Amino acid sequence: MDDLGLLRDLGHDLEHEPPATLVRQRHRLAEAIAGRTGRHRGRGWILIGVAAAVTAALILVPTVLLRGGGKGAEDPLGRSTHRAGATKALNILVLGTDGRGDKFAPRSDTIVLLHLPRDNERISAVSIPRDLMVPLPSCKTRSGEATAARTGLINSAYTVGGLGCSVRAVEKLTDVRIDHAMSIDFTGFKRIVSGMGGVEVVVPRAMRDPKAGLNLSPGRQMIRGDQALAYARARQGLGDGSDLERIKRQQQLMAAMLKRAKEKQMLSPVRLPMFLNMMAGTMETYGQLSVPVMKEIARILERTETDTARFSTIPVRPHPDDPNRLALNEPTARKLLQTFRS
Amino acid sequence: MVSAMTAPPTGARAGVPAPMPAAEADDAADATADAADSADADLIERSRTDPEAFAALFDRYSGMLYRYVSRRLGPEVAEDLVGETFLIAFSRRARYDLSYADARPWLFGIISKLVSRHHRSEAARYRALQRSPVDGHVEGPADRVAAGVTATASRPLLAEALAGLPRRDRDVLLLVAWGDLAYEEVAQALGIPVGTVRSRLNRARRKVRAVLGDTNPMNEEE
Repeated sequence: MDDLGLLRDLGHDLEHEPPATLVRQRHRLAEAIAGRTGRHRGRGWILIGVAAAVTAALILVPTVLLRGGGKGAEDPLGRSTHRAGATKALNILVLGTDGRGDKFAPRSDTIVLLHLPRDNERISAVSIPRDLMVPLPSCKTRSGEATAARTGLINSAYTVGGLGCSVRAVEKLTDVRIDHAMSIDFTGFKRIVSGMGGVEVVVPRAMRDPKAGLNLSPGRQMIRGDQALAYARARQGLGDGSDLERIKRQQQLMAAMLKRAKEKQMLSPVRLPMFLNMMAGTMETYGQLSVPVMKEIARILERTETDTARFSTIPVRPHPDDPNRLALNEPTARKLLQTFRS
Repeated sequence: MVSAMTAPPTGARAGVPAPMPAAEADDAADATADAADSADADLIERSRTDPEAFAALFDRYSGMLYRYVSRRLGPEVAEDLVGETFLIAFSRRARYDLSYADARPWLFGIISKLVSRHHRSEAARYRALQRSPVDGHVEGPADRVAAGVTATASRPLLAEALAGLPRRDRDVLLLVAWGDLAYEEVAQALGIPVGTVRSRLNRARRKVRAVLGDTNPMNEEE
């Protein structure tokens, strides 16, 4: 075999088949064709949405506990929160929404199912694409009417019936019992950063993106809410301008946030109530996310390495009736979600 | 050892221009009923007055481009680059030269530029290949198994050669070997004369052969 033959063989071995999620790129093109590229909510938010939502869950949940106040914690009503060794695995649904206080109904752009295991296992996070078609349960709308059960986009559950409706839709889809749920919106991310007093990043060279309101000089520095958001989302004219480059930047930012949160939590518990007040209005919780429950979550988190959380996406295939939508790939999804049912 | 390159590949090799997932292709066929057998240039021309027609190009070539980029940069980046390519192509459709019936060289040209932004991670990918065997390699047909020993042994060497090639030479070599473009099509894709395509390809192949340990000057191309 000559050199080109060998090279072709190598190429075959390196090749990957187009994934079902390539339909998103088709959707992107369809939006450009329809002239809808200008809308502010972009894919950028989806990426940081996952990270922000999971970070929020991992940081805030144990953080909230400290409201009870350090050792021998009591909840605000004065009851003892001590429960003898009753730890169990928990499933938490985390939504990142695009609500920005404008007239549009908020949508859940980011949907992540988080599994906190009972033992010293790794935390699992499975993200559910927002363009997944699913059977939707009957839900109560914000005005109190009940909607009929139907087939629709998973993210429409939140728009129609809020967090409770999302919980039931995801439970129906995954056959996983959800213990708790929380949502965090666009400004929540900024407030997390601000509430921590900023995060430290190392900027390799000057970053300027007037469109995103970004203006950073090179070097190690603290950046705050708006800048952090712009830093995470910026794409044009930075690095090699690619999504990969941006994802890397976001991961660094998340690592910095987790580090900062740990420091703050240990060193300055006094600041936390303030922090939580800042978060008010950007977060919503569902179920009994009470102090004892949070204490339990904190106990789970203490034993697990949050750095080694396992991230995956629920298996999907193109929807048979609509090339711009996804359908669940049931057998593989069932297998992936096995750990969530333990 | 006769060179396989005296006749440029036609580009119509089996499986290459396959549209993406089957279910989607079927749907797309409904949506663009008569787009199925129009030439690319006709689709592009039509898309200037009826932008929707452009989506048929995606259904036709996104799979091909994805496979190509997945070889060079891996699956994570490929998806985004394919999307980017079609957005750029769509915005430039007015400037497309309709005398070229086949849009593949044009699309490969756009995606080559995007790939070049990732040249560092591409080189890193090849260097990693030098050290580790290819994952999930399945047994090929009998003739490939026969050549299997050589092919497996040559893989780290090929990877080394690819990592060491200048970007411009690598683009030409891989558009020919992995993109299945003919010389004229590579020239059109990269906006360079055919003569330059030949000289870059020869230089690249010479280096690959040198790394493979074959220094036979008879393998030289005209």
